[in-house]
Amino acid sequence: MANILTITIALPLLGALALAFLPEGSDDRAIKVVGVVASAAAFVASLVALAGFEFGDGGFQLEESFAWIPAIGANFSLAVDGVSLLLILLTTLLTPLILIASFASVTDRLKGYVASFLVLEAAVIGVFAATDLLLFYVFFEFTLIPMYLIIGIWGGKDRRAAAVKFFLYTLLGGLLMLVAVLYLFTQAGSFGYQDVLALELSQTEQRWLFTAFALAFAVKVPLFPVHTWLPDAHTEAPTGGSVFLAGVLLKMGTFGLLRYALPFFPDATVEFAPWLLGISVVGILYGAIVALMQSDIKKLIAYSSVSHMGFVVLGTFALNATATSASVVQMVNHGLSTGALFLLIGFLYERRHTRQISAFGGLAKRVPIMAGLWLLVSMSALALPGLNGFVGEFPILLGTFQTNRTAAVLASFGAVLAALYLLWAYQRMFHGPLEGADNENTSDLKRSEIGVLAPLVILIVAIGLYPKPMFDLVEPAVDRVLSEVGVDTTLDLDPVASTDAEG
Amino acid sequence: MTVLAQADPNVVLIPDVAWSSFAPELAPTFMALVLLLVAITRGREQIVAAPAGLASVAGGVWLVTQGPVVPGAVAIALGVGLPAAVFAFPRRTSLVQAWGAGMALVGALVLTGWQYVTVLDVAGDGSGRIVPQEALAGALANDGIAFFTRITVYLTALIVIPLGYGYLQDRRINRAEVEPLLLLSVVGMVAIATANDLITIFVALEVFSLALYVLCGLARRDRRSQESSLKYFVMGAVASAILLYGMALLYVATGSVALGDIGTALTLVSTPRIVAVLGLVLVTVGIGFKIALVPFHLWTPDVYQGAPTNITAFMAAATKAAGFAVVLRLYLVAFPGLQSLWVPMLAVLAAITMLYGAYLALVQRDLKRMLAYSSITHAGYATIGVVSVSDAGLSATLWYLLTYAVGTLGAFGCILALERTRKGEVGLLELRGLGRTSPAIAGMLSLSLLSLAGLPPTAGFAGKLVVFQAGLEAGLTWLVVIGVLSSVVAAFFYLRLAGQMFLEEPDEGAPVPVQSTGLSAGIAVSATLVIFLGVQPQLFLQLADSAVALVP
Repeated sequence: MANILTITIALPLLGALALAFLPEGSDDRAIKVVGVVASAAAFVASLVALAGFEFGDGGFQLEESFAWIPAIGANFSLAVDGVSLLLILLTTLLTPLILIASFASVTDRLKGYVASFLVLEAAVIGVFAATDLLLFYVFFEFTLIPMYLIIGIWGGKDRRAAAVKFFLYTLLGGLLMLVAVLYLFTQAGSFGYQDVLALELSQTEQRWLFTAFALAFAVKVPLFPVHTWLPDAHTEAPTGGSVFLAGVLLKMGTFGLLRYALPFFPDATVEFAPWLLGISVVGILYGAIVALMQSDIKKLIAYSSVSHMGFVVLGTFALNATATSASVVQMVNHGLSTGALFLLIGFLYERRHTRQISAFGGLAKRVPIMAGLWLLVSMSALALPGLNGFVGEFPILLGTFQTNRTAAVLASFGAVLAALYLLWAYQRMFHGPLEGADNENTSDLKRSEIGVLAPLVILIVAIGLYPKPMFDLVEPAVDRVLSEVGVDTTLDLDPVASTDAEG
Repeated sequence: MTVLAQADPNVVLIPDVAWSSFAPELAPTFMALVLLLVAITRGREQIVAAPAGLASVAGGVWLVTQGPVVPGAVAIALGVGLPAAVFAFPRRTSLVQAWGAGMALVGALVLTGWQYVTVLDVAGDGSGRIVPQEALAGALANDGIAFFTRITVYLTALIVIPLGYGYLQDRRINRAEVEPLLLLSVVGMVAIATANDLITIFVALEVFSLALYVLCGLARRDRRSQESSLKYFVMGAVASAILLYGMALLYVATGSVALGDIGTALTLVSTPRIVAVLGLVLVTVGIGFKIALVPFHLWTPDVYQGAPTNITAFMAAATKAAGFAVVLRLYLVAFPGLQSLWVPMLAVLAAITMLYGAYLALVQRDLKRMLAYSSITHAGYATIGVVSVSDAGLSATLWYLLTYAVGTLGAFGCILALERTRKGEVGLLELRGLGRTSPAIAGMLSLSLLSLAGLPPTAGFAGKLVVFQAGLEAGLTWLVVIGVLSSVVAAFFYLRLAGQMFLEEPDEGAPVPVQSTGLSAGIAVSATLVIFLGVQPQLFLQLADSAVALVP
């Protein structure tokens, strides 16, 4: 289908536009219908894109390009490789689920809420699909505004500070990247991805440009020590915002590293890779230890995100086909499992209006379905074999072990700690004696809530059991990137074979 | 000069005046005079309007028969339009004035377009640049700078008139001289953008400055307005004196007032360098006042805050465009010989301006004052284009000023809407919960602020992008990085305003902003332009690129 990527971006935008023209005072149902239909249509469109995608080809596919600002050589060019297509699918899958899950809790200014999410979705798809640097930058920065509103308007008590912090951190990183993008333009004479890729940059240039790009993406991931906005943003954001943040927005950072920082600046990548491995390990351990000490369950998961995203960056900079492919798979896994955890926290919060772990206890007796799903999703997050987290995390460690043993060994402690904080939290909340009227009266998940969680849970299990299609989608693209960096991708272990054997 | 040499002494000399070079300015000039006359008729406007209209129509018909159809048509339209306005709004002089001025500005824009197509037409050499036109014995340079500044200034004035109409009425300062003075200052601004010698620059500068001094003090009973006017006048006079002194020194050093000749002379070894450098420094100080570069910015906050808000909007957007037009021409045409001196000087000033302006804007509570400091910051960004000393820098500066103008007009327009509900000023707290009480105004204000902050997809982003690009091409990476840092600071305070509007709940009984047709139209046009220039900047960027053609 022609221009399927443009259509995928346009559908949510059309939905937002329709909302803008919805007459004043029309009832909430119309708003909900428009939101769900538009985002579901985008999902269908991305499935069409998947159908038209040729597996095994690591280059860009489904390319489309329109003249945008010829005066400065910028085009509206879109294309996908396996990595970006996978992330687009994740985005379009999560958005309708988020909207449906939010309808119960968001009643104030619903129209604005739905419209913000639709605009945000379109911008994120644009980030993943853009092959023009300026276009990429525009989409990248544009995600800030709707997310700022989502946190700032529909968030918790300290939402304003959290929203501003989120905005400024990301903006600073982004603007430094803009300088780098413009510098690349002055060298290449074009914003086109391939033109910039063809540049021969000196080592000094690469160092500076890599730093600018890496900083922008490190804020987004977020890597230690520029992660401090994330716990605030996660804690204060409404459930839908947290899910989107964890599920999709953080991936913009790791995606950016893989798509831009690595292939554009191969020499600097090789030079800085040990540093980034080190920072990732610090982030993995720091996030895990801080998560262990949290009394607020949402904050706990927020810090666990810092730890888990550290694994993704670790795998990316292990510069080895096994680890790097698995880190892409792990991006999706983290989106699914953390997204599901945030949804569960949101459902629990709606019932109890608290997120203090100490307020809960023995809930498993009252809410067996919730407890079961919680346990399953926690297991996925702590990388239990047979679930999706394992097929991502294990090859990351395996691949890293080949290139940097110290980093791999240290990082594996993060996996141990993850089991500790996730299971300990589960134990304190769901097991033990059932005390207090609040805990007694907590009701189990409703059918609609289970319905929202179902796709995520199914994928968690399915990917865990049979991850091959995902690796097939991702590997050619990752190999292409790694060959740009100069890594020989033919000699490495086949991650699928290894995971199949273990799982 | 050739005309004089060949002329028969018995024939009356008609100097060869290239009317086409300043045709757009004629419409607002004549309209200003007619409107002043209309104002003194005290209720019987048709006495003036009808004959003036008749004369204009007659002139227009003559022009059409002679050849230039578009100018003739404009003259006819204005000649019919003004009496029609008088007929339609009997005894409502200020409305007639507003319509008259608006029509004149539309006429000027049409004539600018006509000029672009006929006299300045893009050269056939494939460069895509216009052909500059020299006129009045070299005193006027009708070139790219002039052309693009015309667009910015005329457009600004055209938007300001409907924005301010209701505001002036509310405060009972809709005096008869407002529109004529506005038109005269517009003409002065365009004149300075076309001026090609020091004398013309100075005269044009005084023309628009004098008009602005009066406009700032329009609210005679408001002490802030008085203060604003006096401060602007005193500071402006000092700046003019310094500028004049610098010009005199340049004349001493080079023996010419024509910018092109000065440019040539400054490259010669025989030119006394010390005198020339002193002249350059003094001129920089004088111009620095006008465009409000730190440390010559001290007048700006008080003047911007005290002046009637529509005048502030006009000053912020249009004066900046005119000021930078003369900066571009002076430094690129007259001072290339001293480039090694002024490039670092202006670059440092730009850096200080961006950082200091952003820092001071952070601590402001009053909206107009905050925008005043933000306008200072923006002068710093525009200077990046100047110190790039390249074609890209030239077109980037012109383009940046247009994007700044639309954003700032939108922001001031929304402030006007807020101010009309209260007599005092609009502070940060007055914005609380505006997103709930009047989402349209809050949305437009946020959009304009986002544009000033330079976030995609707004005009401000496209502006900063091109300026930064020019700076990087010129190797000014450090300056661009400073620009980026100041953008983040600036984003913080723009964001704070947006936060007040959307993230806070409104106070009980908070007054709802007043919207009138003119105001809404003005804001809507600015907001549309903010989006249009941001999403689809191609058209105007191309015009700015074609404007890279100067009279040598």
